Amino acid sequence: MFEFFQKSRSVLGMNARNLEFIRPHNPKRAKEIADNKLLCKSVLKKNGIFVSGLIAKIKTATELEAFDWQTLPNSFALKPNRGFGGEGIIVVYGKKKPARPSASMSETLRAGNGFATGDAGGNHNDAWIKADGSLITIDDLKNHIRNIIDGSFSLSNIPDIAFFEERLQLLRFFKPYTYKGIPDIRVIVFNKVPVMAMLRLPTKESSGKANLQQGAIGAGIDMSSGTTTTAIQGKSGFIDTVPGTRLLLSGLKIPYWKDILTLSVKAQEVSGLGFLGVDIAIDKERGPIILEINAYPGLSIQLCNKTGLKERLERVRGLQIKTVEKGVRVGMELFGGEIEEEMENISGKKIVGSSEKIKFTLPDGKEIEVLAKIDTGAYSTSIDIELAKQLGFGPTLESFSQIDLSAYKLLPENESLIKKDFLEKHKEKIPFLEDVAVIFSSSGSSLRPVVKIEFKLDNEIVSSSANITDRKNLKYPVIVGKKDLRKFLIDVNK
Amino acid sequence: MENDIHPIISFFIREGVPLKTVILILMLPLIATLIALLRQVFGVKAFGIYTPLIITFAFLATNGIRYGIFIFVAVILSGMIMRFVLKPFRLLYLPRVAIMISVVAMVILIMLTLGGSLKRTGLAAVSIFPILIMITLVEKFIAVQIEKGNKIAFKLALETLVISIAGYYLASWEFLIKFLAIYPWTILFTLPINVLLGKWTGLRVSEYLRFREIIKKS
Repeated sequence: MFEFFQKSRSVLGMNARNLEFIRPHNPKRAKEIADNKLLCKSVLKKNGIFVSGLIAKIKTATELEAFDWQTLPNSFALKPNRGFGGEGIIVVYGKKKPARPSASMSETLRAGNGFATGDAGGNHNDAWIKADGSLITIDDLKNHIRNIIDGSFSLSNIPDIAFFEERLQLLRFFKPYTYKGIPDIRVIVFNKVPVMAMLRLPTKESSGKANLQQGAIGAGIDMSSGTTTTAIQGKSGFIDTVPGTRLLLSGLKIPYWKDILTLSVKAQEVSGLGFLGVDIAIDKERGPIILEINAYPGLSIQLCNKTGLKERLERVRGLQIKTVEKGVRVGMELFGGEIEEEMENISGKKIVGSSEKIKFTLPDGKEIEVLAKIDTGAYSTSIDIELAKQLGFGPTLESFSQIDLSAYKLLPENESLIKKDFLEKHKEKIPFLEDVAVIFSSSGSSLRPVVKIEFKLDNEIVSSSANITDRKNLKYPVIVGKKDLRKFLIDVNK
Repeated sequence: MENDIHPIISFFIREGVPLKTVILILMLPLIATLIALLRQVFGVKAFGIYTPLIITFAFLATNGIRYGIFIFVAVILSGMIMRFVLKPFRLLYLPRVAIMISVVAMVILIMLTLGGSLKRTGLAAVSIFPILIMITLVEKFIAVQIEKGNKIAFKLALETLVISIAGYYLASWEFLIKFLAIYPWTILFTLPINVLLGKWTGLRVSEYLRFREIIKKS
């Protein structure tokens, strides 16, 4: 029980978020930028940060009446300026061509009225297609905008501004994972360091919105590699695959990862918020783009990552970070998890050739160098009798040779029995004996003594259990087997 | 008991403030503190602090808590149903709330009449102010529904109900009423308690549950 509470300290709760992080680090003016999408857009843009393009904004009912609907492109997003939680957003994907009869009718009507005729101009039959395939007409849009202006979607219903924004294009990479909508990446930035991130994928449940509360998928991201780890759907419930498919949610490598982190730290700098969530989407053509910034980032990101945020924030608190690059680097280094370590291991492996000089330390402290064959065909390492004697295993060999081995039938099926029997009977008598090895080879089977040795291969210390055999007539006094090659990659050209 | 009453309360009574009123006012900080405690330490959210507080007093003012609960549930249910009914009309916010309040008011009126005709006079005898308070609850409910969705609005309504019931029993606890009459100054203890709550940065009980997977793992 005590342990449970001890461990729970790594988790960030609502109380600590508000009191320890938002209150002291997010000044009021900065929060205003985060809450006001249009202001945020212009502040970011002024500072050279990519944001989605603004098409038009509508502030009053008069502006709404005067609005020229023909300026709207085929696809766009309509948003409330002070909306939150993704409410009040309408996204359309295409314009519906008016059906022929109505078009010709309205054309004649307009011609009669003396208005200019043309393809769908100013036509109230105009309609756009929404994510779910349903149509939305200009009247519907007008009504929605009236609601926005009236403050239906803003906190405490303050009058608001409606704006049209360019719709982002879905990156092909995300297509199989996404239901309608556009996935986005939430990065929590604190003290110029990106500390935690998640990928949010719209689902059917969330009706195409990348919002966890509405049922979107959230996948945790390893900070250094940008690879997804664990995932949840909605506010809880861990899942492995995209529902209804076999697509794994882990191991997705997010494109432009470093750019995304850089962008998020820049956004923090510009906004003046000390602790924030930055939402970034990737456009097919323009790459990573900031959607919005959030002064009150939610806590579910901890579940997606199966990691507490508080611990990470505390590690970053008070660090002196001067540049954006440094912040990104610190975040990647501190919060890169197991995946990265694995990769480092792979890339950090020493590369050796098929024959290498290895170094032994003799009992008198001198080092000797011998040529060894790097042999992935052998399981364990073998050394020559002469070398073994030099290394001080003379008594071992002497005692070993005095034992009568003829009683053992060297067949693969007897191996474990032989070993057990031999060790029980003789291990005590033979100095330094570690084990015995039963070797089956084309040149005949043999029972060999095994001793513990240590050598240096390419300056890596390898401790090994090597068997001793007569290699007098062979080219190499040592072969290094698979068992001792785990830390190396073999390049046959070397 | 009469003799034990604190002089200051006797003074209030002498000046014409009814004892019941004095006790209710003294209960106010206690219930408010209870609500703050439930939010900060247990994670029971409800509709802020005002709504559960006022509903608690509405319960106290109805004769018998079950009528109060009955009206509360009726208000929330009709609010939920009305939202679906009104959705296709795409109305602006305030007119929409006005319609809802009208409908809820009608529903309550019908309920009271039905209750009366079924000889459940207790329901009809509920005084008008608690009823009015609960009818206006519907606005809070709709606001949350728009901001956070149906599920959360329903959850918060339920939490509000639970807190209000707890508050009701706290405020009608004989022992506590007597205690406050004798030691009215003890309510000042709510101040340091709230200062502590206001500085409390630990996880809430609900968060221990929510993040148990992480805590178990790390």
